[in-house]
Amino acid sequence: MIKIEKRNDVPMTLYFFTPFIAIILTILGGGIIFYILGFNPIEALKFYFITPISNLYGLSELLLKATPLCLIAIGLSFCFKSNNWNIGAEGQLTFGAIVGGGVALLFYNQEGFYILPLVILAGAIGGMIFALIPAILKTYFNTNEILVSLMLVYVSKLLLDYLVVGPWSNPEGFNFPETRQFSNSSRMPLLFEGLRIHAGIFLALAAVMLSWFILYKTYLGFQIKVSGLSLKTAKYAGFKGKTMILVVFMISGACAGLAGVGEITGPIGQLHRMISPDYGFTAIIVAFLGRLNPFGIIFASLVVALTYLGAETAQIFLQIPKYTGQVFQGMILFFLLASDYLLFFKVKILNLKKNELRH
Amino acid sequence: MATDLRISNISKIYPGCIANDNVSLQFKSGKIYALLGENGAGKSTLVKILSGVISPDNGEVFLNEKNLKLNSPLDAKKNKIGMVFQHFNLFETLSVFENLSIDATEDNKSLRVRINEIFKKYNFSIDLDVPVLNLSAGQKQKVEIIRCLLRSPKVLIMDEPTSVLTEQETEELFISLKKFCDEGILIIYITHKLKEVLSLCDEVAVMRKGKVVSVSQTQNEKVETLANKMVGQKLAKIKKKINISKNKDEIFKVKHLNFYSDDPFETNLVNLNFSVKKGECLGIAGISGNGQNELFQILSGEIITPDTSIIFRNKEIAKLNPKQRREYLMAFSPEDRISQAAVPELKIYENVALNNFKSSNFFEKGLVNERKIKEHSKKILSDFSVNTDNVELKSQFLSGGNLQKLILGRELITAPELLICYNPTWGLDVGAINYIHETLIKINDQEKSTILISTDTEELLKLSDRIAVIYKGKLSKIMPSEEVTPEKLGLLMGGGSID
Repeated sequence: MIKIEKRNDVPMTLYFFTPFIAIILTILGGGIIFYILGFNPIEALKFYFITPISNLYGLSELLLKATPLCLIAIGLSFCFKSNNWNIGAEGQLTFGAIVGGGVALLFYNQEGFYILPLVILAGAIGGMIFALIPAILKTYFNTNEILVSLMLVYVSKLLLDYLVVGPWSNPEGFNFPETRQFSNSSRMPLLFEGLRIHAGIFLALAAVMLSWFILYKTYLGFQIKVSGLSLKTAKYAGFKGKTMILVVFMISGACAGLAGVGEITGPIGQLHRMISPDYGFTAIIVAFLGRLNPFGIIFASLVVALTYLGAETAQIFLQIPKYTGQVFQGMILFFLLASDYLLFFKVKILNLKKNELRH
Repeated sequence: MATDLRISNISKIYPGCIANDNVSLQFKSGKIYALLGENGAGKSTLVKILSGVISPDNGEVFLNEKNLKLNSPLDAKKNKIGMVFQHFNLFETLSVFENLSIDATEDNKSLRVRINEIFKKYNFSIDLDVPVLNLSAGQKQKVEIIRCLLRSPKVLIMDEPTSVLTEQETEELFISLKKFCDEGILIIYITHKLKEVLSLCDEVAVMRKGKVVSVSQTQNEKVETLANKMVGQKLAKIKKKINISKNKDEIFKVKHLNFYSDDPFETNLVNLNFSVKKGECLGIAGISGNGQNELFQILSGEIITPDTSIIFRNKEIAKLNPKQRREYLMAFSPEDRISQAAVPELKIYENVALNNFKSSNFFEKGLVNERKIKEHSKKILSDFSVNTDNVELKSQFLSGGNLQKLILGRELITAPELLICYNPTWGLDVGAINYIHETLIKINDQEKSTILISTDTEELLKLSDRIAVIYKGKLSKIMPSEEVTPEKLGLLMGGGSID
């Protein structure tokens, strides 16, 4: 008979170490999959994890992809830490991009230093408003935020679809589903000539610092921490539960909106159907891999960004579909959850016969 | 065929408490047996042993002289021992039939036929194809009973079955139970309600502190005699000096406290009115589950009820949340130390910061003032003799007694005018209990008031100036504690009436 028991004392160092175990297991698991598919696993893994970042362009791409992941995951950590399960960051990203993109399109034939800040602000507000929908429904109508936030993802994506084929489509665009190109003043400044990495990375770093400060040094952070550990205690202490739900969703939505606006004003430069390869969903993995810790999230976003790059390289060199990237992301989450489970519980195999003798 | 169930010398010891102390009992089919006792008397432990949920440290169970090995609930099922727990084990979203077919061994068609036979025989009518969540508590209980009946049980154990039922449903249940009994099923009925014992059962075993203290025919018993046996002769009162004079000011006054809940596991409160004087301890007795949880949460502000009036120090506070009530110098110590009053994963000083009253300056302009919180925590640790001085220690490493000292210390360091506590010594060892009791008496000596909600009658008699009993969400009249005897309390706690 198998018995599962809770471990009483889990050392914190081990808690921050298990993400590394999960990553190692993911790499091993990936190797096995490649082997079964008939590739040399060592070579395939090299294409996956080493080749993409062996030059300056690759490193720039890594940071480019890590930026939105990091921003969104930072926002999500506020929600997850306080027991609010916002899984609709992809929708908040899309809506932020729509609002920010709308402002950018207003200024499509103008230049000026004030345009980019306006666009970024509009994006953050857009994401914030979109995140407020599940938050308000949860606080005042007791709906489940998981369902509502998830379903709103499809609402925002369909809205974007409608806008880019309908009212906002480029009049000179031969009916392609895309808007006009934004003016240069609506674009994120590039950091290096010839590389795509842009100033959005500073937004992500600022979010990391700010979130660390809020979570660990303010009363709001304390309330988030207590609510996440025990809602009963939060109620007993008299925290304003409803206000807190609204605030964490707003923070989370604003971060996702910033990520969205960073994408369209950065590498993309216009609105079209495919503004995000599911960054909003992948960021959930990033948040947990980073242990909901601001600095952990930086590291996790780099690792997960690499799976995006690796998938693209593998598609080019090994002719395997780039969706293997999602397989790797799935494996990371799976191994992380599994090692967490074994970290907090121990599995005991009981010898039944011996047990019977005791009676 | 007659059934004979014998429990022989069963003992079960948990750290710090003997749940069952050498319990021997004998049951024969054709009778309904009551197992009566207060909270913590050991009824549930015994029942869990009979149903294979836990195994005893010592002793044996015989069914028709066969020594049973009950290592899991499955063993109990195999040996035809059926059990209906107080909290239902049903899948809410599945239909009644699906719930019944989950562990059935036959095909659906013949199962349906058998269920309908049971329906006919006992006059049950439940739509088999509606989801369980649409059923009333009484109907859900019937589904559980049918699940047992499908296995043609020899023994049927009912654990506090009427706690979630209406009067009407209770009557129906009793009729069914008597029918089962006539058919030769041995019925063991666990309860703390005295009237039910007298109206339903043939024989009653009373348990107290893990021991069987009496076995008797119910026809020879009255509500008073049973109450006496259940509560027992308590120790002589080591009461503090009674220090209320009649003309002291009322500091706290509750009027028209009503609470209605849709959740069948919560208790509705009906028109509670009471007041507390300066320097007084008002005790509220009762068996757990009679509305104490709800009452505590309403008094602390975790639940806000409309139309209730709570006057504290001449101010209406009924609409204020716990934090705001604290500012008026109220303090609260809930029953659940580990997941409500404190968070085990938090450090001691973080748990102290949960009582963030305005003058503490724990959080200035929204920022954490860690230095201040730690200083304050150190003072609590030494003032209330908690056995550590490390404020960085996680609270999970404190023993129950030390955690409770920390919580009381946190609540009392603001010098509140009124402390409301709920089972403050639950699960603690004698030393810690004495310390807490002394502390509570000291508060009253300093002209501060307390409301003590407790299921421990001994504690109530020791500490209270006046006592009321809560039963099914209603409050008895409030009695000066010198007029209260353990018998009177037992009677009121079991739903009887005095006068």
